[in-house]
Amino acid sequence: MASPSAPRARGVWPVLLLGGLLLWAAWPWLPISRAAAPPATIVFYGFSILGDTMEQGIFPAFQKAWAAQGGTPVEFLSSFGGSGTVTNQVIMGVPAELVLLSLESDADRLADAGVVPARSWRALPHEGVVNRTPFVILVRPGNPKGIHDFADLARPGIGVVHPDPLTSGGAQWAIVAEYGAGARAAGGDPAAGERLLAGIWKNVVAQASSARAARTQFENGFGDALITYEQEALWDQARGRLRAEIVYPRRTILSEHTLVRVDHRIGPKERAAADAFTRFLWSEEAQKIFVTHGFRSVEEQWNAGNPAFGRIEEPFSIADYGGWAKAKKDIVDGVWKDRVMKVRPKP
Amino acid sequence: MSATVPIAGPRAVRPLVPVTLLLAVLLPLILMPLAAVFVFAFRGGLPAFGKALASPDAQFALRFSLLIAFATAAVNAILGTFTAYVLSRYRFPGERPLGILVNLPVAIPTVVVGTSLLLLWGPIGLLGKLLEPLGFQPMFAPAGVLLAHLFVTFPYMLGAVKPVLDEIEATYEEAAYTIGASRWQTFRWVILPTLRGGLFTGALLTFAHSLGEFGATVLVSGNLRLRTQTAPLYIFAQFEAGNVAGANAVAAVLAALSFVIFFFLLRYTTNRREA
Amino acid sequence: MAITLEKVTKRYAGTTIVDRVSLEVQTGELFVLLGASGSGKSTILRLISGLLPPDEGAIRLGGRDVTMLPPQKRDVGFVFQNYSIFRHMTVAQNIEFGLRIRGVPASERAVRREELLDLVGLGGLGSRYWSQLSGGQLQRVALARALAYRPAVLLLDEPFGALDVKIRAQLRQNLKQIQKTLGVTTILVTHDQEEGFELGQRIGVIERGRLLEVGAPEDLYAHPRSLFAATFLGAGTILVGRCRGERVELGPLTLPIPPDVPHDEGDRVRVLFRPEQVSLSADPPPPSAAVLGRGELLEESFSGSFRRVRLRLPALPGTRQLSPALPYGENALLIEAAVPADGRPIPAQAWVALENWHILRQPTPRLLVADSGDASDPALAIARPFVEALDGVATVVGIASGSSGQDELRETLGRRAREAGLDTASVRARAGDPAEQLALEQSEAPYDFLLLGDTEPALRSGKRRAAGLAEELAEGVATPILLARGAAQLPRKILICTAVGEPGKADVRAGGWLARRLGATVTLLHVSLEGRTPTPLVRAHLDRGIETLRELEVKGRATVRQAEDAIEGILAELETEAHDLVVVGGPVRGSRAPFLRGGGDSVTRQVLRRCPCSVLVVPEGSW
Repeated sequence: MASPSAPRARGVWPVLLLGGLLLWAAWPWLPISRAAAPPATIVFYGFSILGDTMEQGIFPAFQKAWAAQGGTPVEFLSSFGGSGTVTNQVIMGVPAELVLLSLESDADRLADAGVVPARSWRALPHEGVVNRTPFVILVRPGNPKGIHDFADLARPGIGVVHPDPLTSGGAQWAIVAEYGAGARAAGGDPAAGERLLAGIWKNVVAQASSARAARTQFENGFGDALITYEQEALWDQARGRLRAEIVYPRRTILSEHTLVRVDHRIGPKERAAADAFTRFLWSEEAQKIFVTHGFRSVEEQWNAGNPAFGRIEEPFSIADYGGWAKAKKDIVDGVWKDRVMKVRPKP
Repeated sequence: MSATVPIAGPRAVRPLVPVTLLLAVLLPLILMPLAAVFVFAFRGGLPAFGKALASPDAQFALRFSLLIAFATAAVNAILGTFTAYVLSRYRFPGERPLGILVNLPVAIPTVVVGTSLLLLWGPIGLLGKLLEPLGFQPMFAPAGVLLAHLFVTFPYMLGAVKPVLDEIEATYEEAAYTIGASRWQTFRWVILPTLRGGLFTGALLTFAHSLGEFGATVLVSGNLRLRTQTAPLYIFAQFEAGNVAGANAVAAVLAALSFVIFFFLLRYTTNRREA
Repeated sequence: MAITLEKVTKRYAGTTIVDRVSLEVQTGELFVLLGASGSGKSTILRLISGLLPPDEGAIRLGGRDVTMLPPQKRDVGFVFQNYSIFRHMTVAQNIEFGLRIRGVPASERAVRREELLDLVGLGGLGSRYWSQLSGGQLQRVALARALAYRPAVLLLDEPFGALDVKIRAQLRQNLKQIQKTLGVTTILVTHDQEEGFELGQRIGVIERGRLLEVGAPEDLYAHPRSLFAATFLGAGTILVGRCRGERVELGPLTLPIPPDVPHDEGDRVRVLFRPEQVSLSADPPPPSAAVLGRGELLEESFSGSFRRVRLRLPALPGTRQLSPALPYGENALLIEAAVPADGRPIPAQAWVALENWHILRQPTPRLLVADSGDASDPALAIARPFVEALDGVATVVGIASGSSGQDELRETLGRRAREAGLDTASVRARAGDPAEQLALEQSEAPYDFLLLGDTEPALRSGKRRAAGLAEELAEGVATPILLARGAAQLPRKILICTAVGEPGKADVRAGGWLARRLGATVTLLHVSLEGRTPTPLVRAHLDRGIETLRELEVKGRATVRQAEDAIEGILAELETEAHDLVVVGGPVRGSRAPFLRGGGDSVTRQVLRRCPCSVLVVPEGSW
């Protein structure tokens, strides 16, 4: 008679454990634990380096400001990834309401896919550009390889960590920066631009899916140099976590980050909050938060607020190459993809 | 049944060399990486570990992963048992191809599963296109994650239950019928109790696989924090974002959970064999 | 509660597994279904229990028609060969299962369970699990489980099959006792005749899905009606003799045929004697004894109270042995005898006399119909009138060239047989060389006639014409072969082609027998070579043929033709008289009858090839 009861006694243990686990997992959803849910949510998708800035700076600030205006409480649901990845996700149908992309050509892709009307973001302030940041070079502490400009990255023996242009907006900015720096140094010679681009890409030892991921790789010890947003480096420096040196190239590009509103996804309940949030992004408060977090404001006047911003001798912008539609065709596809990658020797 | 007398012979002679060799291979291959997770998770001390776990995102990711795993195990227990029952009890044309088909998810890369689910249920997918106007959108929502996990783990449940079912002779059920038990009573009182072991194993396997599922989830979830971000997605996102401590804390919890499941699985199967 | 089966039929993939079985088992009776494995006996049990639905017929339990009821509603107890004890339940839980399903309260269940445990002798083992019991104990649990809810009917499928011999004997007695105590109507299925004899109040013998005969064990043993029952239910010798008047001739010995066995003059009659009905003596027995002859001792074996003895006797003229089977080429009789093991030596040469014997009922003629698959196959078309006229049974066989598609072939055959009106025919699907397969089929289940139809292509795979196939078969098979040609009509005028020097041979008897059953007239034809007058021998031979026909009560006349050779004479006869069936002997080889061989070809072959009407080939020794 003992045998049938024995397995039962042994079975209590796992059942208790599983039950406890289930209870804990389901706790937030149980009616007894449920706090009053915010009635409105804004689903925000952003490119990788925005993560901390939005979650720690912009969202809380807006929630406070919005509450002060007497708006209903609003909750942000956000996801951050490579600009290309985010664009793809939005095209596939993720419920994004506001999308902050690293570059305008990703916005164009959204328009091409029919997610938003073409160029609808141009109606926003500053043609949809929320903030900027120049492309810089990160090197190991003490700059052991003596890297001072893009040209140094093309030297033999230098290992470069680069985000992947297929999924990362930052990578595309970096390509235009490298090409532009080369061409401008030679008085605007496209051949010189292509030479520098090819020289740097010969040295690429690791490609990551986003600018953020590329930096994680660099931090984990890959390569001698990382081409990335200035903001990335400054934000870490501000928190004392930067274990690298920033090298400001003489000539580099200032990236411009575009906000796209997926209007048909914004429900009537959220519209007021979404509109207010859109306006808020270009407000003094938000722009100053961006500056604190290492982004350069679209209003030059606020940029003095961050003394860490480095000086760039000859900055240029995408407009210098005819905007992203043309630059993507001419430089990213025309030079990098069709020429540089074709001749790139196998490692 | 098993020999209690030590076996003399080649097995007993000088196990030192091969065992050392085995350890030398296993250590860097399996043991050390696992240890590294725990070392990194606790490098900042217990408070840092606790803090990393206490972040709302980590809490959500763990809870969400567990809930999905529970739901996957539960739904697949029913679905898998039903499929196994039909496949092992009925003879019909196309039975063999179907038997292969239901095991296919094991052979398909999970990323492909995610892609195919998106192409079917997604807003631009074949069925999703029709469903979207109705306001039903399974992808990029918990339902989509559950769907992907059911798909990916389905063969594990089937594989655990069907062999047990196949072993039950037809007369086992027939005996119950002649005694007067209805089809349902027969299933409930005669078939199901014999399946208990298979169901338990299948549920644990399903649970464990669901807990660790990444490839399909990353595509169908939309990776939305606080809404569809599972623990593995959280780990990956945090790792990519450079928050290694946060990633490791959740990774350590996941690994510990897997150990516990594995322990139960092991204990259960060895108990069975001894019985 | 009585169990009644009424013409219950079950088919599976075109094969008839249970064939029109009708049976009545009395209330409280212990009935045994006895048959070889694959005979359909277990299927009958499943049909009664409702685990299988019958295709035709009705099943009643105590007057209640349960034909369409599911097993749950039939109130039967079933003990499976493998017992199927529920492994996750204790013995007690197993036994109580039926009561639990019926919502009986726990206290009542416990009482009943203890009662049953005591009944089957497992008191105190209620808490054991499946793995803690021996085979015999498991069987008793299965029995108790099946009896717990007091079913009206108990069905046992080979309940002792999985046990060793010693336990078997004991459990048989237990079962008999329990059955008697409870008085539950019981059917037990077994392949073991000893088991059947010991347990059965009555026994039903099953062969190929048919219930051949039913009777008390002693009755079946001593007076079986069918050959199968005679051989399946115990050892013994079966000899075939010829009917002369009211007696059967076994060489010099004649035995009376009981009046209840219908018989025709010249019929083959089967005589069965069991080993214990044979007496052996060193000295010649008195003339009043039924002496079979003097034989030599071949082998003996000790089996407890008896010694089994096998003797070889010289062959008896006009007598054939059916059982035990003779080794190939053996021209003798093998007699089985049982001698009391009292230590007296058995003489090496002994006189064999019969103390008792049993004459088997005349068999139902069995037709094997070879279906070519052709839409206009006369074999299928004529089979039904033949079966009806002969009061026989038909089996339709189809032969595929490859082994694939057997099920499909079976189904087609079943359909075609039904379309041809052979609703009750069995169906066999075979694969391979047609002649070989037909010979095999014949040797597996002896048939009285082989029916072929002459169409093109002849048989499913064969490019050969049916005539060629018939020729080939006639050389290898000891069965009359009927090659049907033309209209599907029964023959009215039969022409029997005889040969000199072979009076009263198989062809005359077979043709005569057929004519009698069909009500046809017979012409005996003798062809003599041109320019020669028939010898007196021919006349005498024809007279004897007419005599044979008269004994069969068939009208016949003899005719002699002169022709270039035999086949020309036969063809000329066919032209003048509208015979619709030609009967010839089998192909004759060697020089024994040179006359019959025309132009290097036997007459048989020529007749098969050139006669426009149907042909019956009667190989030597087949009739």
